Amino acid sequence: MYHELTVWSRGIIMDKEARDVSSCVATAARALGYHADNVSDYIDDPDRTNCLVRRYARFGDSPIVDRFVYENPCPDWVVLVEETIIKAVNFLRGTPERGGVLVINSKRDPEYLLKFLPDEMKAKLAKFVVVDAVGLAEQRGSSPWMFVRNLSELALDRMSTEGAEERLAIGLGIAAPLIGALVAATGVLPVDAVADVVADRDAMLRGVAHHTVVGFAGPAAETREAEKPQTDGTDAAAPTAAPAHAAR
Amino acid sequence: MSVRGTRIPPHLQLPIAGVTPPPTEKEGQRLFPTGNFRFYRPVYRDKTPPCNNACPTGEQIQKYLDFVKHERFLDGYLTILEDNPMPSVTGRVCYHPCETACNRAEHDEPIGIRSVERFLGDYGLALTENPIAGGLPALGGTTVAIAGSGPAGLACAYHLRRRGYSSVIFEALEKPGGMLRAGIPHWHLPEEILDAEIAKLLSLGGIEIRCGVRAGEDISWDELRGYPAAFLALGQDVGRRLPVDGIESRGVVGALEFLREAGLGRPVTVGRQVLVIGGGNTASDAARSAIRLGGGHATIVSLESETELLIVPEDLEQARDEGVAFAPNTALVRVLAEEGHVTGAVVCDAALAKDDAGNVVPRLVPGTEREVACDTIMIAIGQVQRLAWLPERLSDHGVITADEHGRVEGNVFVGGDVMRGPSMVVDALGDGKRAARDIDRLLTAQELMPEPDVEVMPYQGLNPAYFRHAPRMPIPLSPPERRRASQQVEVTLAYSREAAVAESDRCMSCGVCNGCDNCYIVCPDVSVLRDARENGHYSIRTTYCKGCLVCVQECPTGCLEKVPEMDFDDPADVVRMETAFAPYDGAHAEQSAFTKQLIEETIAEYDAARQAGKGQRTQRGGNGNAAFTPNGDSGVRS
Repeated sequence: MYHELTVWSRGIIMDKEARDVSSCVATAARALGYHADNVSDYIDDPDRTNCLVRRYARFGDSPIVDRFVYENPCPDWVVLVEETIIKAVNFLRGTPERGGVLVINSKRDPEYLLKFLPDEMKAKLAKFVVVDAVGLAEQRGSSPWMFVRNLSELALDRMSTEGAEERLAIGLGIAAPLIGALVAATGVLPVDAVADVVADRDAMLRGVAHHTVVGFAGPAAETREAEKPQTDGTDAAAPTAAPAHAAR
Repeated sequence: MSVRGTRIPPHLQLPIAGVTPPPTEKEGQRLFPTGNFRFYRPVYRDKTPPCNNACPTGEQIQKYLDFVKHERFLDGYLTILEDNPMPSVTGRVCYHPCETACNRAEHDEPIGIRSVERFLGDYGLALTENPIAGGLPALGGTTVAIAGSGPAGLACAYHLRRRGYSSVIFEALEKPGGMLRAGIPHWHLPEEILDAEIAKLLSLGGIEIRCGVRAGEDISWDELRGYPAAFLALGQDVGRRLPVDGIESRGVVGALEFLREAGLGRPVTVGRQVLVIGGGNTASDAARSAIRLGGGHATIVSLESETELLIVPEDLEQARDEGVAFAPNTALVRVLAEEGHVTGAVVCDAALAKDDAGNVVPRLVPGTEREVACDTIMIAIGQVQRLAWLPERLSDHGVITADEHGRVEGNVFVGGDVMRGPSMVVDALGDGKRAARDIDRLLTAQELMPEPDVEVMPYQGLNPAYFRHAPRMPIPLSPPERRRASQQVEVTLAYSREAAVAESDRCMSCGVCNGCDNCYIVCPDVSVLRDARENGHYSIRTTYCKGCLVCVQECPTGCLEKVPEMDFDDPADVVRMETAFAPYDGAHAEQSAFTKQLIEETIAEYDAARQAGKGQRTQRGGNGNAAFTPNGDSGVRS
């Protein structure tokens, strides 16, 4: 069992959210006894506002070999912190056919969002997950986005963009529901175990409960609204639930 | 789907820290399509300026002010003529709702739009030939009947002519012009200007005016209906009567009738002490004309208080300058007469009140009655039209009822005062324009459509930092003592050419791109293009624009706005990069393979060295060695 998570976000103004998603997944995986890595982005320009940036996590039940390769070569979990990224880049490069779980933060219809994916990218998807993380996150002021809310907070966050210590708790704001939707849709990590490392546990559980999954079992896509935080195990390409604490 | 910027062309590939063209060069922008930084896209979208929206004829005021600013007067004149056939008339008499709506009023003072319009109108009248005559469509043979040659009727005929229809106008009086001639004094609108505008209209061909034909008497409802289409623009030329004692005495006249006689050049006599009853613009015009004709005194007696008067502010000020006296909050109780001629009037304190239906109900204060000496009393308390000749269902209290398109029934439309009650010249011109459009739709079997909704640009949408405060160019006036003496001296005078240009230069071009180049200059990413003239002026290079929105913030007119990138739903519009900011496709994938290879080579080298010097310690430190044990058991970093 081995999974690679790439979180796509925008430099500085949304960097904290992306960092939190990958960090929580890696931390939870490690707590469960898996081998896990959480890598920051030095490929793109993380100090450029709005620039596309990535955060990587990977975990598995065997030691991680490519410790010097910080770009995930074959991400099977992809999270887009901001919806426009769906138009911006080929974020499914290296993803196995029908093996990808794509989580996008958007309140738009999945059909509308899928319009922007070319067929060759759709062919790599096992699940397309839409979660309105902005709506589900803890509302602070007019918006849970840090860059909308508070410039001084953003200035502090900017200091931790390049590997300094976190100044805010990990798993806040937009990140929490995104983690919830990701964990629920993939079904590999137990929700409770991940929730333990997420600062805003309630928002994360809201993300677990409220997201839309479009499954790509074959050529035809089917849509369902997540009622329970449980993935459908019928999809052969989707990772099946792994036994917790089974790594060692 | 375009995939761009993902590969460096061979001639640019350099091994390390390659010298790539900077984004300020075209090649560089192709190389780094940073359009994916963007989650808002700047979009040029022109809104409707408030002046344009307020004008009943929909004159494109911003457009012609822009032409005048660049001294392109003929273009400006032609722009007006698209909507308004007689700018010389409206440039003099319009109550300028455009200036009332002008956003510049919130900045400093509104633009003198009417005076610029008058400048352009007079410029057009001075041309030796009518500039639009050549470009009109040929007449199609359909003739539309128009009852009334006032502004509504003339505008309808004009716009019908622009659409290729003939028209025949029936005018009750002996000269055309309707209220323009019979209601507006010559010192407001000189007769020769009106004659010239009507002559210009008739020179287009296809418009016939039959004077002395009164609808309802000389031509019947059925005859009008018999035309392919008809437009009723009868106006309201019958003054309301005031039910008080002595109103039948000689010396009591309707203000409207007085203005009509004077306007048609008939002999009129006015006493030296004139009372004008009423608080509107007709009262003001009548009082000011009376001063000019009788040389005496005129007092406006109104139920309205000073602040409630319905006279437009500039007319009020001019009337005061000319010596018109005001008796606000006063009502006429009865007329005193000797031998059938007015000698005075009894007035009392009063206040304006209205009943639930909106009718004026004077509230008199008993015990305040007093006598006022006078020899003429003019009644200016509103007007109606005699409509008994129409089927009863079509009229209501002196106006013709119509649906939302101004259609009475079948092929008959209505507009102007006879539809809306006393209103502005420009309202009538607008009604004529709309009626012509709707008649055209009717005759070509199209559906009548309501006016489309428009988005009006508020002042708050502009960037006021770009507009320095500049006072309005003063509008020249004749001196009061000179204009008091004659009917023929125009009160308001024209802008000079320089003043018209300077005044047009004050226009803030609300919501409409006027090509100021500001976006082009401020864009830090060379993403505003001036050569591809989308929207007439600029376009955004969407492959490279990072969405910083500096252009939107710095757009003076507010025609640039930010639209969420996700709202653009055309998949062909997507500029997708293969990597985020990697210089070329697969750089990092190759790098990882290279790294692996490097590690393996180093380990092999290390092992070989150990084999060669058995028992010897390596020169390297322990930590250095530990870093080269990729398959060790330290998969979980500590």
